[in-house]
Amino acid sequence: MEWWYAGPVALMLNSLVALSSYLFGSLGLTIIILTIIIRFAMYPLTVKQLRSTKAMQDLQPKIAELQKKYARDKQRLAEEQMKLYRESGISPAGCGIPMLIQMPIWIALYQSIIRLLAVTPEDLLTLSKSLWSWPVVYTMVPLDNSFLWFSLQNPDTPLAVLVGVTMWLQQKMVTPDTTDPQQRSQSQLMLWMMPLMFGFLAMSFPSGLALYWVASNVITIIMQYFITGGWGGLSRAKDGKTVIKASVGKGSGDLKKRIAQAEQSASITAMEADIVIPASTPEEKTGGESSPDKLRGISYPGGAKTIRHQSKRSKGRRSRGR
Amino acid sequence: MQIKDKVLPGKLLLLLAVILVLGGLLLSGCTVKSKPIGWSGVTVTNDTLFVASLEGELVGLNKSDGNRLWPDCSLETSKGTTAFYGIPAAEGDLVYIGGYDGRVYTVSSTTGYRGWVYPPDENLEPIIGGLLLSEGKVYFGCNDGKVYAINTAELRKEWEFSTGDKIWSIPVISGETIYISSFDKKVYALNAADGTEKWHFEADGAIASTPLVYNNTVYFGSFDRHIYAVDAADGSLRWRSEIEAGKWFWAQPAAYDNVIYAPNLDGKVYVLNAENGYELAAPIELDSPITSSPVVVGDKVIIASQEGRVFSLDTGSNLVPTAIFKVKNDDEGIFAPLVASEGVIYIHAQTPKNDTLYAVDAETGREIWVPVSLS
Repeated sequence: MEWWYAGPVALMLNSLVALSSYLFGSLGLTIIILTIIIRFAMYPLTVKQLRSTKAMQDLQPKIAELQKKYARDKQRLAEEQMKLYRESGISPAGCGIPMLIQMPIWIALYQSIIRLLAVTPEDLLTLSKSLWSWPVVYTMVPLDNSFLWFSLQNPDTPLAVLVGVTMWLQQKMVTPDTTDPQQRSQSQLMLWMMPLMFGFLAMSFPSGLALYWVASNVITIIMQYFITGGWGGLSRAKDGKTVIKASVGKGSGDLKKRIAQAEQSASITAMEADIVIPASTPEEKTGGESSPDKLRGISYPGGAKTIRHQSKRSKGRRSRGR
Repeated sequence: MQIKDKVLPGKLLLLLAVILVLGGLLLSGCTVKSKPIGWSGVTVTNDTLFVASLEGELVGLNKSDGNRLWPDCSLETSKGTTAFYGIPAAEGDLVYIGGYDGRVYTVSSTTGYRGWVYPPDENLEPIIGGLLLSEGKVYFGCNDGKVYAINTAELRKEWEFSTGDKIWSIPVISGETIYISSFDKKVYALNAADGTEKWHFEADGAIASTPLVYNNTVYFGSFDRHIYAVDAADGSLRWRSEIEAGKWFWAQPAAYDNVIYAPNLDGKVYVLNAENGYELAAPIELDSPITSSPVVVGDKVIIASQEGRVFSLDTGSNLVPTAIFKVKNDDEGIFAPLVASEGVIYIHAQTPKNDTLYAVDAETGREIWVPVSLS
């Protein structure tokens, strides 16, 4: 692992120190700014990941139907699922791979923060081995560890709570609405487990890490808002409804069309489920109360409109397809 | 199986990602709360040696043969043991040492029994530099950035002085003045009597190195990789070394015959003219970083590297380092300052778990007595 610490971690660490020279030597401010920079540098990957995740969620009802239909034929189920993915233009790995690519960067940032928060003399000696011969680096270290009301070296309870809350908000935004009890319990587990776990970790780790988590969560929330178009599960929770207003929003028009096309080609038996199509235009969004339609057994999580309110363009394309 | 079928591949990957993140966090978490280990130096009195072990015990040894003076003197409290970085200080019947738990402990130098503790009912921030004993007062710097003067007879704080950042160096006294460095990039001169500031000098980097007072000049190395010489009387800059070392200056420099020997974490010793800071010779390269403060024995400067080798520099014509000693256990390193008395160097070497005290002839490197295992 020497190469890891001498390469990526050292690069991140020295960048943090160099950046701090423009930010009054404040480690707290530097953590926030570098987190923002890195998150925006990885923006294309994040977009890909969020859109893929969203698309997977949108296909979930259809997957559930397939699972029911082919419960006893695993091979056929797999084939049908792959067919559905292909026709919808979705890669199942699309949500995981971007995250995996970003992970080394997150870990390097995380570890470099740990190193910079050197508390003991042994820590500081270890840190000295990672510093490069940039003049600014040697004069800046050790950085100012006090930030706002807390010391970045010590755990801070309010900040730990903030970690949990921001992580919950982030998770809640992407939690799919589903009628399937098993999927719902999985979603609920993810929704609560991660915030609690990270909140707990933040209570025992130096606040510098907690600050990084909070900054990262807030950026993710903002990105999710703009990429997936809205507050997702949060607006659902706010309305107290089982569906949200716009599950596939800004920037996901193509995806919606592809899914619509996939609906047609996949020969799925109609189910006793509400058809809820996401609204994409302002008029659709304001176009009357949702009226559960039971035509094709397709439920779009988060869609507040019935098939009747689907955009004309989409309808036209469907008829042309026929 | 049904549950398994319902898990989407994307979710599986997400779950994998979560596991990886948590795994990474946990692995890194091992280093988050690194436990302080400590590297206490040795204090030598007429017949005895005192050193704190890695187990948090103050060990008293017979100087002539290395035999223990008492079986056990653990400084453990209800909160467990603590690490000791400073050098113990001995005066009268008491030995003093400052702990990472923010307390000053005293131990009877004859019986090994524990004496008073300061503060008695609370803890300060970690005390990492050593203590200075002078005229009934114990002075020390603390991680809270303050210098404390404690009256040892009445066990009360006489004064405190605040600097801008933590203090890891040992206070040095010359005449009526205490000199101490801080991570706030400054060296302070304080009145020993009341703690008022006489002057301070600001360098470009943090200072962990204990200042050296020599020929009315205060010498110290900084994290900005330069050595400074400051007038001891008024704090005016005499010179700042033109050379820029590879890494931080951590150890206290040594001086002999108007020459400053400044070890650096880049594994080199910088040899400078004490008058003007000019480099007198090319940096002397040792085998590893130097954390341990060197010591002058006769006309030789003895320096230890982290790798556990002890080198002798002939201050005469030959500045080629001669390795005179190597610790027995290859895993042991030397971080604590060296101490010399009557031609013998006392070396506290350690691994993260074990530590050993060596007594070595400064001239030949021969061991005076069998190394004593302290933990």
